[in-house]
Amino acid sequence: MLFKILKKDFQRNKAIIIALFIFIMVSSLLVSSGSRVIIELFGSIDNLFEKANAPHFVQMHSGEIDESVIDTFVSRNNLVKDQQTVEMLVIDGADIFFGNSQTADKNSVMDNGFVKQNHSFDVLLNLKNQVIQVSKGEIAVPIYYMQQKNVKISDPIRISNGSFDKVFTVTDFVRDVQMNPSIISSKRFVVNEADFDTLHQNIGKVEYMIEFQLTDLNKISKFTNDYQSSNLPQRGPTVDYSLFKTLNALTDGIVAVVIILVSILLIIIALLCLRFTILTTMEEDYKEIGVMKAIGIMQKDIKKIYLIKYIVMSALACMSGYLLSLGVSKLFTANISLYIGTASKNMRHFLIPFLSTVLVFVIVIFFCIIVLRRFEKITAVEALRSGAMGTTKVNTRLLALRKNRLLDTNVFLGIKDVLGRLKMYLLLFTSFVICSFIIIVPINFLNTLQSPTFISYMGVGQSDIRIDLQQSNNATQAFTNMVEYIEKDRDIEKFSPHITCKYSVLNSDGGWENINVETGDFSIFPLEYLKGTVPKVGNEIALSQLKADGLGKVVGDTLLLVVNEEEQEMLVSGIYQDVTNGGKTAKAMLPYNSETTLWYTINVNTKQDVNISNKIAEYTKHFPSAKVTYLEDYLTQTLGTTIKQVQLVTIVAIVIAILISILITSLFLKMLIAKDTSQIAIMRSIGFTLRKIQVQYIVRTLLVLGIGIIVGTIFSNTIGQGLVSILMSFMGASKIQFVVNPIVSYLLCPFTLILIVTITTLMCTTSIKKIDITKMLTE
Amino acid sequence: MMNNIILETSGLKKVYNVGKGNAQTVLKSINVQIKRGEFVTVMGASGCGKSTFLYNISGMDKMTAGSVVFDGQDISTLSERELSNLRLTKMGFIFQQGHLLKNLCIFDNIILSAYLEKSNSRKEINKRAIELMKKTGISELADKDITQASGGQLQRVGICRSLINQPKIIFGDEPTGALNSKATNEIMELLENINEIGTTILLVTHDVKVAAKSERILFMIDGNIVGEKHLGKYVKENQDIRKREEQLSSWLIDMGI
Repeated sequence: MLFKILKKDFQRNKAIIIALFIFIMVSSLLVSSGSRVIIELFGSIDNLFEKANAPHFVQMHSGEIDESVIDTFVSRNNLVKDQQTVEMLVIDGADIFFGNSQTADKNSVMDNGFVKQNHSFDVLLNLKNQVIQVSKGEIAVPIYYMQQKNVKISDPIRISNGSFDKVFTVTDFVRDVQMNPSIISSKRFVVNEADFDTLHQNIGKVEYMIEFQLTDLNKISKFTNDYQSSNLPQRGPTVDYSLFKTLNALTDGIVAVVIILVSILLIIIALLCLRFTILTTMEEDYKEIGVMKAIGIMQKDIKKIYLIKYIVMSALACMSGYLLSLGVSKLFTANISLYIGTASKNMRHFLIPFLSTVLVFVIVIFFCIIVLRRFEKITAVEALRSGAMGTTKVNTRLLALRKNRLLDTNVFLGIKDVLGRLKMYLLLFTSFVICSFIIIVPINFLNTLQSPTFISYMGVGQSDIRIDLQQSNNATQAFTNMVEYIEKDRDIEKFSPHITCKYSVLNSDGGWENINVETGDFSIFPLEYLKGTVPKVGNEIALSQLKADGLGKVVGDTLLLVVNEEEQEMLVSGIYQDVTNGGKTAKAMLPYNSETTLWYTINVNTKQDVNISNKIAEYTKHFPSAKVTYLEDYLTQTLGTTIKQVQLVTIVAIVIAILISILITSLFLKMLIAKDTSQIAIMRSIGFTLRKIQVQYIVRTLLVLGIGIIVGTIFSNTIGQGLVSILMSFMGASKIQFVVNPIVSYLLCPFTLILIVTITTLMCTTSIKKIDITKMLTE
Repeated sequence: MMNNIILETSGLKKVYNVGKGNAQTVLKSINVQIKRGEFVTVMGASGCGKSTFLYNISGMDKMTAGSVVFDGQDISTLSERELSNLRLTKMGFIFQQGHLLKNLCIFDNIILSAYLEKSNSRKEINKRAIELMKKTGISELADKDITQASGGQLQRVGICRSLINQPKIIFGDEPTGALNSKATNEIMELLENINEIGTTILLVTHDVKVAAKSERILFMIDGNIVGEKHLGKYVKENQDIRKREEQLSSWLIDMGI
């Protein structure tokens, strides 16, 4: 009996049930995939950290090193379980030639470090998470280059600076627990010990990574304080275990969150579809429901008949979504598998996605029960007498045809119908809002990422050229020479040198921690401050947002900084956004100490008629130890992977939005035409042509679409911008202001949607032709 | 030169395909001529094909064979758009139910097809609609919803709508079928008046009282016209309607009812 009812119902509403099924299925597919990505991500990270035996604390250092001082520290500090000092040979990107290419990547912002395999911990792994072993003449290349430069096994890599020349063969790729993520601007290559020595003697400069493993992971901050208050080498940034984890999780974590957000939107559409369907069938069955009530069938039982079909359908849809997610999960976790590797699966991998699917099911059924409460409003007498439900009562007086002097009659009828039955058009409207939202948000975000003004989220003022100089023995001299050279250059409009040094700051726990402070004049290339202003006097300091949060400081607070071995009270003058250097930086006008200097930068603006590329070439030639980049290149390289990911998300979003708008429009029109059959027959009988009736339907959908696009765009630029800001705040930029390309966002996107919806409406409304007028009129 | 015949069918045939290979011939071969200004009714038992006949000659249904010439035009050769236009400009329809648009008020229902046709200014159309409503006695309903009017009132609205474009012919499919006798008389009086000023009327009905007011009655059985009765123009002042009714009834009995 039940099966019969279900079968009959399916045949009656085939299209809508299939559409509902698809929506619920895709929602559950995305929810379970998203949660699987998260599980997989954390599982894989744990696995990688275990296999690679990740260090807990790493101090980078450029300059001389005294191993005996470190040994003494280790023997005295009982938190240390293990220690190793890794020698890393940093070779300029301009000296590395990938494959058979004759030109090196001069504009590369990556620091390329060449290392030997470590023995005790911080082991460099290959794609199978095995310890990399390279023989003489062989090299293992970071995964980043495998993707970016399309490097393959057995490709050659040439290291050459003119005087020295050596070719390696790629035999493996490096999965690096420290430097995997593309947002980290250092990458490690693995070479054989003998080759390392050869390189060491001929090229590059050595940096050290002083690495520690601790007996208790929870005491990292105590250890950090111990280290920083010691006399150990500290010329360079420090990184710890939790930061490694965060950086590794970031990119894919954001993908997972986006997937789950999209599925939430789909669930909303599915629920609206469900509401529309239930109300329509209820309207169709109004009389039958009345009869059932009249002959004494309990309301509860009638409801059950309706509910059961949605339970069966949603259960099937959720199950299929879950099963499909098992199949497509590789697609979502491909990036994780590549960069982080795969961990062995356990119960959690299946249980949590399954539970999230069950959650979708529960939400759907709960919603059905709420909508079905309308049954209570139907009285048997009313249903039998009127035979129609009063809910879609239309407002005829809202707009009178006779008062309409301008509009074409069909356009008028279309508009009037929408205004008269607003509630019914809610499904279509909400879907269109969501569609334009999921198109415009990624497009605007992408445009923002690609716009030159994005630099302001990187803690850097807008300039043409950026010159980077890493600390080394003769860096101070090189820096002075550079500044002198640029000062004399007549092609230069303005420039501003900055020196980043390491200082100690008193943190909220009462301990001292390192802070990288950039000093210089920040008014030449001004930065937009989130709060407060640029530091103007010696005792003022501006903090990046993440640093300010970490220190628990706001504008107007003071903090204690150690400058030239003296404590100095600094006033926080401003807070800015920065996604570079882990998002933790500061700016001030302090006397600098060449001992603690980390790097130098110079921002340069050329005069208007100067060719920037020529200028970059000139500087590159004159300042061999520095890295000269066109600021836009700097941006695209640092954000390259993020941009690519957002591009992918944008394309997927556009496709999804287009599919949703086609599906919902056709679904809605099918139901609407079925509802309006008698009205259409009347219009046809008094002489409306098919075309004229189609015009009415196009006006209806386009009116709803138009308002939907406007609302969707407003939402995109408010809520959407907020959502993106939340996602980006993990990277250090919490207040993203969309840079909108009006032609794309306000012209192209709406036009595409309008075109698609118009075509869909035209196709769907040709079914009007099939309506048998005489049958409708004689019934 | 204007032809005296407004509608002529020859060999009009309509076959419905009910399922696979189940053809049902509803109209066999109908040959009828209707003169301009005539008032004709078609009678017959339920299912004899009266309504189908009406919908086929007005182009709402597609005939299977034969031809229908309306106002000098063979409608079997017309496109969907031309047929719609024909209905809009030259034909008026009155149905058993009002068949009005739910989302328009009564006044808007009446003027709709005239606004669509566009040959008169909207101002003129509104004026004409007001006149028609006055004539049919429903002036006070103009701004009302169709749910606020009685069956008889809705039928008047339907008549006003059918007249708004000054059609050459009015088709009525059981226009009084759902009305009580008082309302029926009022509607028939209106139709008589319309006919008096020269509009051709073709009605399909069961009701002898309705048919007795027409000039000529066609009788259909199983898709064929098997007989016709001329009663002549009904002139209210000097004819007793009862006599016409009796005359018609006895003819119908002869025809086999």
